[in-house]
Amino acid sequence: MAGRLLLVCRLMVRDLRRRRTETVLLLLAISAATGTLTLGLALNNALAQPYERTRAATAGPDVVAMPGATGPEALAALAPLATAPGVTAHSGPYPMAYLMLTASGTTVPAVVQGRDNSPAALDRPAVTAGTWVHPGGIVIEPTFANALSVHIGDTVDINGHPLRVVGTAVTAARAVYPRADWRIDAGSPLTESAGLVWVDSSQIGALAGTRPLSYTLNLRYADPRASTSFTHKREGGIEYTSWTGIADADGKLVKQARLALLVGSWLLTALAVASVANIVAGRVVDQRRRVGLLKAVGAGPAMIAAVHLAEYLVIGLAAAGTGLTAGWLAAPALTSPGAGLLGSTGTHPPALRTVLAATVLALAIAAAATLAPVLRAVTTDTVHALADAATPPRRRGWRVWLSRRMPTALLIGVRINARRPRRARLVMVNTLITTTGLAALLMGLAQDPRVKLGESKLANPQSTRTLEAMFLVIVVLCVLALINAIVSTWTAVLDARHPLAVARTLGATPAQVTAGMAVAQLLPAIPGVALGVPAGIGLYLVASPGDQQYAPASWMFAVALAVLLAVAALTAIPALAATRRPVADALQSTST
Amino acid sequence: MTGSALLKARGVSRRYGWGSALVRAVDEIDLEVPAGQTLAIMGPSGCGKSTLLHLLGGLQRPTDGEIWLAEHRIDTMSERALARLRRHHIGFVFQSFHLMDELTAVENVELAALLAGQSPRRARQRALHLLDRVGLADRARHLPSALSGGQRQRVAIARALSNEPLVVLADEPTGNLDSAATLEVLRLFEELRTAGQTLVVVTHDARIAAVADRVISMRDGSFADDSRLTGTTTSGTGTVYGGWR
Ligand SMILES: Nc1ncnc2c1ncn2[C@@H]1O[C@H](COP(=O)(O)OP(=O)(O)O)[C@@H](O)[C@H]1O
Ligand SMILES: [Mg+2]
Repeated sequence: MAGRLLLVCRLMVRDLRRRRTETVLLLLAISAATGTLTLGLALNNALAQPYERTRAATAGPDVVAMPGATGPEALAALAPLATAPGVTAHSGPYPMAYLMLTASGTTVPAVVQGRDNSPAALDRPAVTAGTWVHPGGIVIEPTFANALSVHIGDTVDINGHPLRVVGTAVTAARAVYPRADWRIDAGSPLTESAGLVWVDSSQIGALAGTRPLSYTLNLRYADPRASTSFTHKREGGIEYTSWTGIADADGKLVKQARLALLVGSWLLTALAVASVANIVAGRVVDQRRRVGLLKAVGAGPAMIAAVHLAEYLVIGLAAAGTGLTAGWLAAPALTSPGAGLLGSTGTHPPALRTVLAATVLALAIAAAATLAPVLRAVTTDTVHALADAATPPRRRGWRVWLSRRMPTALLIGVRINARRPRRARLVMVNTLITTTGLAALLMGLAQDPRVKLGESKLANPQSTRTLEAMFLVIVVLCVLALINAIVSTWTAVLDARHPLAVARTLGATPAQVTAGMAVAQLLPAIPGVALGVPAGIGLYLVASPGDQQYAPASWMFAVALAVLLAVAALTAIPALAATRRPVADALQSTST
Repeated sequence: MTGSALLKARGVSRRYGWGSALVRAVDEIDLEVPAGQTLAIMGPSGCGKSTLLHLLGGLQRPTDGEIWLAEHRIDTMSERALARLRRHHIGFVFQSFHLMDELTAVENVELAALLAGQSPRRARQRALHLLDRVGLADRARHLPSALSGGQRQRVAIARALSNEPLVVLADEPTGNLDSAATLEVLRLFEELRTAGQTLVVVTHDARIAAVADRVISMRDGSFADDSRLTGTTTSGTGTVYGGWR
């Protein structure tokens, strides 16, 4: 037993060491997929509960009541609610004014709420930076502050009165900017997406000037159904918003970013599988020989499977670890700053579920891409496995016929692909997925990422976050695609060395041969790109319903061209290097 | 099995392809190899020598016929049972050596012993002993890439012997070697014959045939001639024999 274990370990370690580059590439490919998954799950976790967390931490109300009326009339309308049957707690009514706020040259409408330092039964906004309100100071909701790019210590101007920003705070009584969804009567400067700020209640009258004050009352009910049976309603001139409605609105802030990550991790997983399959396909000849050899000295099927699985298990586990760490470290960058709610990722170790999911994914990718060739090798005749040759390349009659009528480079390209149709498909999948991702990103970039607030436009944290998520996915996607392109080019060059050398003895110039290799990769890349552009646009439209701007055709065209150029350039370099070798060398090195 | 034959084939055929492309690589062959015999199989390229050897070693299954090794009928065995048989009772030597490139000479030799479940220490001792026997004690820790062709083949022979196999099957063991290296291998085979090792060698090389107890000529998948030599003094081959020693 000890002997066999030693053997498995020895063969594994030696093989990994011998194929260092491949091992690193495999690690990278699988890590990329697990990293994205971890990130997606981490964000899901962090973004799923922050409203609930904030609600618990700030004693959030069940229902918020706001009369359409103002002044004493509003107070009169709210008075009976606090003592209504079923109400167990209340806070307020707090005065509110809809005023214009100017910060660093931008003037936008804002909702100013008057608060003081006395403890409230419900809705005690949690200070996330700086301090709570005091006369002359203003506290801003962090998402809003971020969009305004104001910081603690800055001075903002409300209705002509300068105020110092003393802190940022979050509340569960309103959805965060720009999701607050204020419902207001005609004639008010307020828009539904205005941000929330707090000032000392002694000051609000002076800030409002001649404008009438509105009021808000926070309520808690004994019966949970009193707040979960509706999200928003208007009764007797009073707007009621339940906490479930607020939670929903908050969720929308990150819904698209989550979707982008989800779709992105699917794309990435697909690409990672293609990548691993690509790398593994490159070593299949060698692997078959190894298996034949082990069989000849008496290794049974179980032993052979163990030798190979051990290798991929180790790579898979290492990749799971790398991906988990990377994903977890990247997560906070996507949620902060200014998440608008309490709780951020990266503060706790990854959940067990996340670790499991990432590990399972890594092992599944490793197994999916490697099991098939291993099984094939195990079940083939030992003699065939030992024959040192991969399956003889298939010839596709019509393509060979077609190629007789073409310029030399194209001819070489078509013939190379006719020899290895599977690799051509991989090139297509690679460019298809990359172009899909890039086209979707362009669609995202074509949208106006700002919210219209009165006369001005402000950054929309929702779009910002979605774009950040898309960027992240695309960067990883491009890295993987690059790995894929390099691997497939190198194996194609190695594999085509002999026919290319023959072509050269027949008089093809190195330039023609290089161009031929590039053509071989470009041919399948063209349909990939052509399908990828509409696929990316479609994906974006499906994922974000509503009025969407189309990216200019010139952008799409540029992306398609850039992908094709990248493929051509990536191929030309190794092909050129290969054609530098004397013909005789190339013929020699493949003859055994 | 009856008699003293260690390795026995009865009516063994191996065909490839169908119809007009049908190839009878091995055609209804009967063969008995007694224990301790050194048998050389000769014949032109493509006559089916390798195929026959692969059939005898269970690397390939016959289309028809029965093959027995000692008490075991091997043509109907499962892959697992065949693997066990190979690791305990059969040693292979190939024309292109088939050493594992990433393992050192001694690690290659102990491969079969480790597979057979021997303890690492015993396997290593035996492997070093065998390497010493083939004259490569000082090359034990070299990778195959650092060895000459003849040295590689000697490592492969040591590997084939590591589990004291009932029979060693060699397919053109000197096919890739120059004449000096060929002489080394011949010397080893001569030693094996003296030690009573059952040995089946497929070869082009008349010098190997000269050290054999028996030479079979093959043509188009069948035996054309089967001559038992009583020793190395037979006239005609004797000069060749004397020539290489
Ligand atoms: N896998 C195969 N498919 C078809 N024909 C084969 C295969 N292997 C061997 N043959 C044919 O069987 C015949 C015998 O081959 P082989 O045993 O290798 O001959 P030898 O070793 O004597 O040179 C040859 O004609 C060869 O073409
Ligand atoms: Mg042969």
